[in-house]
Amino acid sequence: MIALTVPAAGIPIPRNNQTQRKLHVIRLVRLLIALGVLAALPAHAETTLNVFISSALRPEVMRQAFDQFEQANPGIKVTAQLGGATSDLQAQYLNTVLSAKDSSLDVLMLDIIRPAQFAATGWTVPLNQDVGNPATFLKQYLPAYADADMVDGKLVALPAFADAMFLYYRKDLLAKYHLAVPQTWDDLAKEARTIQAGEHDPQLQGLSFQGAPIEGTVCTFLLPYWGMGKTLVQNGHLTFDRAAAVKSLEFWSGLIKQGVAPRNAAEIVTDQTRKDFEAGKAIFAVEWGYGWNMFQAADSTVKDKVGVAELPALTGGKHVTCIGGWQWGVSAYSKHKADAVKLVKFLSSVPVSTLLAQQASLLPVFPGLYHDPQLGQTMPWLPQALPVVEQARSRPVTPYYNDVSNVIRTQTNAVLAGSESADQAASQMEARLRRVLH
Amino acid sequence: MSKPSLRWRDAGDAALARVLLAPTFLLLLLIVVYPVCRLLWTSLLDLSLSSGMPARFVGVDNYVSLATDPEFWTALANTLLITLITVPATLLVGLALALIANLPFRIRWPVRLSLLLPWAMPLAFVGMIGGWFFQSDYGVVNDILRHFRSTRIIWFNSGWLAFIAICLTIIWKTSSFVALVLLAGLQTIPQELYEAASVDGAGPLRRFLFVTLPLLRPAIAVAVIFRMITSLQTFDIPLTMTRGGPGTSTVTLAMYIHQNTVDFLDLGYGAALAVVLFFISMAVTAFYLRQVRAEA
Repeated sequence: MIALTVPAAGIPIPRNNQTQRKLHVIRLVRLLIALGVLAALPAHAETTLNVFISSALRPEVMRQAFDQFEQANPGIKVTAQLGGATSDLQAQYLNTVLSAKDSSLDVLMLDIIRPAQFAATGWTVPLNQDVGNPATFLKQYLPAYADADMVDGKLVALPAFADAMFLYYRKDLLAKYHLAVPQTWDDLAKEARTIQAGEHDPQLQGLSFQGAPIEGTVCTFLLPYWGMGKTLVQNGHLTFDRAAAVKSLEFWSGLIKQGVAPRNAAEIVTDQTRKDFEAGKAIFAVEWGYGWNMFQAADSTVKDKVGVAELPALTGGKHVTCIGGWQWGVSAYSKHKADAVKLVKFLSSVPVSTLLAQQASLLPVFPGLYHDPQLGQTMPWLPQALPVVEQARSRPVTPYYNDVSNVIRTQTNAVLAGSESADQAASQMEARLRRVLH
Repeated sequence: MSKPSLRWRDAGDAALARVLLAPTFLLLLLIVVYPVCRLLWTSLLDLSLSSGMPARFVGVDNYVSLATDPEFWTALANTLLITLITVPATLLVGLALALIANLPFRIRWPVRLSLLLPWAMPLAFVGMIGGWFFQSDYGVVNDILRHFRSTRIIWFNSGWLAFIAICLTIIWKTSSFVALVLLAGLQTIPQELYEAASVDGAGPLRRFLFVTLPLLRPAIAVAVIFRMITSLQTFDIPLTMTRGGPGTSTVTLAMYIHQNTVDFLDLGYGAALAVVLFFISMAVTAFYLRQVRAEA
C-alpha cells in the first residue's frame, strides 16, 4: 500500500483520478487478502508430523510405513527428519533440540538405552492413557522392550524394532577346515587361528569387533563381564566387580595379542566391522542384526557364505549378548500430540514390524513374527534369533547413561589401544563410575 | 538539512555520541554481556537435566569438583600443549609460505589460491580428512611410510602418536591463515628499504633478519594472538579425528565442555568449565589489547 501511495505524494493529482486510484488500491488489498486466505487454508486443514529417524536405519523403508499411515489418515502428512548415522550423534542432536524445548519434532526414534533419560527429563509424553492398561498392552512385545520402555510407571515410548549382537561367521571357511560353529570364545580363537594359518592372507582378520570410543564398545566390554555372571548397575546403584572388569578387558586385548583380532581394534567402529566382513576380510564378526541384509546383498563379497549364530560363551559360562533396538516416542513439545500418538501406535504395530523385517532385516518386536513363514524366506535365521533376543541383556538403566557409557567406552578403548593396562583401566572405570552413580 | 545537525551540536557532542553508540551498546549487551552473565550464574547452579530435578544454587561447588576432576586437568593440559606446539609451528610454516607467496611469480593466483584453500575448509572436514590420512589400514601416511619401514604405525593406538597426528593436522589447517596475515604485512614493507640494504652490502639473510622481521612484527603479533585464541578453543579436529581417544588422551577443554553439556546434560558443571576457558581466553585477549596499544 505504501509503495502505491508514495509516488503520488507531492504530485498534484486531479480529484477524480485520486478516487480511481484509491479504488484500485482497495481492490488490490482485497485480492491479496483472498490469496492469503487461500494459501493458509490447506495449512489449517492438514497437520504435518515431523518424525526424527536415523539416516542409517533404512529411511526409505520407514517412508513406506509413513505412506501407509498417510493413506489411512487423510489430513495428516508425515515428514521425516534424518538424524546422524550413529546413536551418539542422534542423541547429541536430540539433547540440543529438546533442552531448548523446540517444537519442530513430533515423533522421535530412540535407542533402547535412552528411555530412562527421557523419563527423567520429561522429553516424551507418557503414553499410559493411550494404550488402555499398559501392563496388558505391553505383553504383546518381547519382554526386554516392555521393560525398557516402562520407567518408574511411565510408558515412555513404544517398541519399533528389536536388535541384538550376533556372531556372523564365514560358512564356507568353516566348512573348508571342517570346523563347527564355535560355542566358546576359546574355540573361536582356536578356529580363527587355524583358518588364518591355512589361508596365508595377512589381510584376513580372525574376529572383528568394536573398540573405538563409541557406544558399541560399551557392549564389547559388557559381553565377557556379563558372561562371568556379573552386573554393573542394579536399581540405580553401582555393582561394579573389579576383578571381572580386569578379566573382560584382558580377554579382548588377549585376542589382539594372539593376532585373532586386528591390532587397530581401537579404531574399529560398528560399520567398519560390517564393511570388513562384507569385503571378506574377517572370518568372524560381532555385529548387530542390520548386517545380514547387507552381507546378503548382490554386491557383497560374502553373499551366501554367511552364517549367523548366538555369540560364544566364556568357557564354563553362559551365552550372553547385548540388546539393542529402537523405540518410538512422542515429543513433549510437539504441537500435535494426539496425532503423533496415533502415528506412534501405528508404527509400533504388527504390520509395520513385518514391513521393517521384510524390507530392511530389522528384527520384529513381536515374538510371534519370528516363526512367520513368509518372513522366514527373507531371514532364514529368524527362528534362531528369537531365543537370542529373548535372553539378551540391557545395558545399565539409569538417567545418567551417557556418563556411564562414556566412562566404559573410553577406558575400554584405552586398553585395546594398549595405552593403558587392564588393571589401570578397571580402577579408572570404578573411580569414575562412582562419581556418576553416587 | 543543516538545521537538525545544528540542533544536535547544541545538545553537545557527548549527547550525540551517546545516541549514536546506543544501538551498538544495546547489541553488545544482548549478545555478549547477557550470555556471559547467564553463564556465570549457571556455573553456580546444580543443574543437571538428567537428574530431573529443578536447578539449585550451590555456590562454588562446581568449581570445587572441577579442581578434583582428573579429566578436567587432562583436558586442560592437552589444550595448553596443543597451543604451545601448534602456535610456534604454524608461525614458522606460515612465515615460510608467506615468503614464497610474496616472490614475484608471473602468475600469482595459483599460489594465492593454494594458500586460501586450507583456510577456507571447515574444521570438521579437515579433522575427518586427517583421520583418514593417519588411518592405519587405508591412510596415505602409512602408505608412504610403508616404503621405509616394515611394520605399520597405528597412530591412534598411542596417546602421543595420536596427539602428534592431531597437531600436524592443525598446523596444516591453520598455517595458511598465518601466511595470509603475514603476506599482507610483507606487502606493506617498502621495496626501497631492501634496495637501500642491498646497496649497503646486506645479503638475503641479513635483509630478512634486519628489514623483513622487524617490520613484520605487528603482523606476527596479530597472527600469534589470533592463533592462540583459536587453539585454546580446539574442538572440531580432535573430535572428528580421534573422538578424544585412545582413552581420554586427546580430549581438549572445549571437547570436555561439549561432552558435559550436550552428552551428559550437566549444564551447571559444563558452565563452570566454560567459565575457566572464558577466563583463559580473556587473559590472552587482554595481553593482545595491551600489545596493540603499545604498538600504537
